[in-house]
Amino acid sequence: MLEQQLINGLTLGLIYALIAVGYTMVYGVIQLINFAHGEIYMLGAFFCVTFITAVGLPFYVAICMAMICCSLCGILLDIIAYRPLRKAPRLAALITAIGMSIFLQNLALIIWGSRSKPFPQMAVPGYLKEKALVMGDISLTWLQLFIFAVAISMMFGLFLIINKTRIGTAMRALSQNKTAAALMGINVNFVISFTFALGSAMGAVAGILVSVYYNTLYPTMGYTAGVKAFAAAVLGGIGSVPGAMVGGIVLGVAEALGAGYVSSLYRDGVAYAVMIAVIIFRPSGILGRSVIDKA
Amino acid sequence: MNVTSWMKVVAAACLLLLTASPAWAQKIKIAVAAPLTGPAASYGENIKSGVETQVEEINAAGGINGVKVEIAYFDELCDPKEAATVAPSIVRDKDIVGVVGHVCSSAHLAALPTYVRSGMPVISPTATNVTISDQNADRNGLVWSFRNVYLDDYQGYFLAHYAKEILGLERIAVFYENNDYGIGLKDAFVNEAKNIGLNVVGEEGYVKGATDFTPQLTKLRGGNPDGLFISGYYNEGALIAAQAENLGMNVPKFGADGLDNVDYINLGGAAANNTYMTVPFLAAAAPEQAQGFIQKFEDKYQRDLDWMSANAYDAAGMFAAAVAAVGADRAKIRDYLAAIDSPEKAYVGITGPTYFNAKGDPEKNAFVKMVKDGAFSAAPKQMQ
Repeated sequence: MLEQQLINGLTLGLIYALIAVGYTMVYGVIQLINFAHGEIYMLGAFFCVTFITAVGLPFYVAICMAMICCSLCGILLDIIAYRPLRKAPRLAALITAIGMSIFLQNLALIIWGSRSKPFPQMAVPGYLKEKALVMGDISLTWLQLFIFAVAISMMFGLFLIINKTRIGTAMRALSQNKTAAALMGINVNFVISFTFALGSAMGAVAGILVSVYYNTLYPTMGYTAGVKAFAAAVLGGIGSVPGAMVGGIVLGVAEALGAGYVSSLYRDGVAYAVMIAVIIFRPSGILGRSVIDKA
Repeated sequence: MNVTSWMKVVAAACLLLLTASPAWAQKIKIAVAAPLTGPAASYGENIKSGVETQVEEINAAGGINGVKVEIAYFDELCDPKEAATVAPSIVRDKDIVGVVGHVCSSAHLAALPTYVRSGMPVISPTATNVTISDQNADRNGLVWSFRNVYLDDYQGYFLAHYAKEILGLERIAVFYENNDYGIGLKDAFVNEAKNIGLNVVGEEGYVKGATDFTPQLTKLRGGNPDGLFISGYYNEGALIAAQAENLGMNVPKFGADGLDNVDYINLGGAAANNTYMTVPFLAAAAPEQAQGFIQKFEDKYQRDLDWMSANAYDAAGMFAAAVAAVGADRAKIRDYLAAIDSPEKAYVGITGPTYFNAKGDPEKNAFVKMVKDGAFSAAPKQMQ
């Protein structure tokens, strides 16, 4: 049973991690908790299903299209809601983020209705639904392996982009000192847009994976997922990309073990208790650096 | 003769006049108190068509003892405030012999004090809340409000028997939603399971809106169950069924009316198959005598007969039977209904035999439907 619970927790945790990197990247660059990120995750799932049912695109193409659309949404979100407030106090942008979250959620409610929808199963390649491994008590589907593979390779790709490319270097420069970065000739707004696009694309993939895995999508799905992923980002150390990955996995596994061994009704409670415990002993999170406040 | 004796005589005379007068009334009215407009209007529509069909049949056969029956509609929007307002006007209309309603338990509870105080017999075809049983009797212990629908907790009791006796299951895993509905249903099921020797191998909870149930299911799977009781609603229920199958738990699932929605099949996919659920009435499994009525109803309203209409039809039928037997007297009608207290005296309607216990609640079996090949159908074996 422990092995199965670890598999359950890992699946959940990798999805949290995919969302959490979106939070943490934006925070690293502009010190904003983008609460509308959970809604981008929800939009990813809805875009994908719409591309499949209304346009008739194949599964993998629809995923790519949904990623592109969500990237554009992320960029638009930044341009419309956050860019005008770049110089305003941080609280103003934070409140705007909450407002955008509510706005996007209700927009989705109007467009797609409040009922839970199934993911169009005909579009999902058949082999994903097969069991990859049934060994004694352990059962693992290809879909779960697919989720592992996609999540890990996407995070590895992200790691390469941030550490090995020019734009990644610019992102890191921006997170250290925005003014100095601008003085070095970095186009600040372009880099911020790129960050939003990258984070949103990963959020979209998470949304699609979740809706395929659970076979359900609904307009309010971004809220709880967003809160969990935010907790994962804080747990790992907000602003740190590897931290978000570790935080997501720790949170997912804590949740599964909490439900399996403590009490099923306290699963979220156990997950958050782990987060609080970490924050008490390491206020900057597992992999976060302690920053001396410039003010 | 002193003054007090005089007053007694006058009072007695008045009482005689009062109780006797409805017997000569030229009209017999049955009130329908239901949401005829507003968001719950479709429920009201169901009740209306059930009562309407019954009354048309009675009048076509010449009425009750030669008097035609009328229906008086009272719209209460399923709103407790509105229900409390319409109740006094129902009571004031001396021609009304009984009320079919209310639809929503909350509205029924709000109107109940008026009916009990003024002595108005009521049969609710749909209100399932358990607390109604404790608030439907007057100071002398006389029950005025009856219902011909089962109570919320009855489904748990019934399912325990169905799982053991019809499905032949022995080891049940219980998965419940952490709210009044889920817990009440689960407790009723677990209690009865203990009584009849059905093993409950695990109880796990979840909160509304959850999407991941694998940790709990993994834990339940450890108990090696041969059946899964889902005490909750269809959205989560479908995901539970699907995830259980992914974990290799290919066992029959069962639940109550909360699962009864086509989205259960849409979201659950193939895993939704082999799920059993209780419903108050099922046209496809109704007794022989109901088939003619079902056909007529479907021809007239161009839709499938639903359980609310069926129960409303029977409720109006009980009032008609009461008036035919004892006359249009509210107190006597109440006594007549209260006396239907054993299977032998049961009123046999289209939903099966109905009789009441001392609290005015029915002793009636539920119907069971199942998901088979991706569609709802009547379960092959009913408990009737």
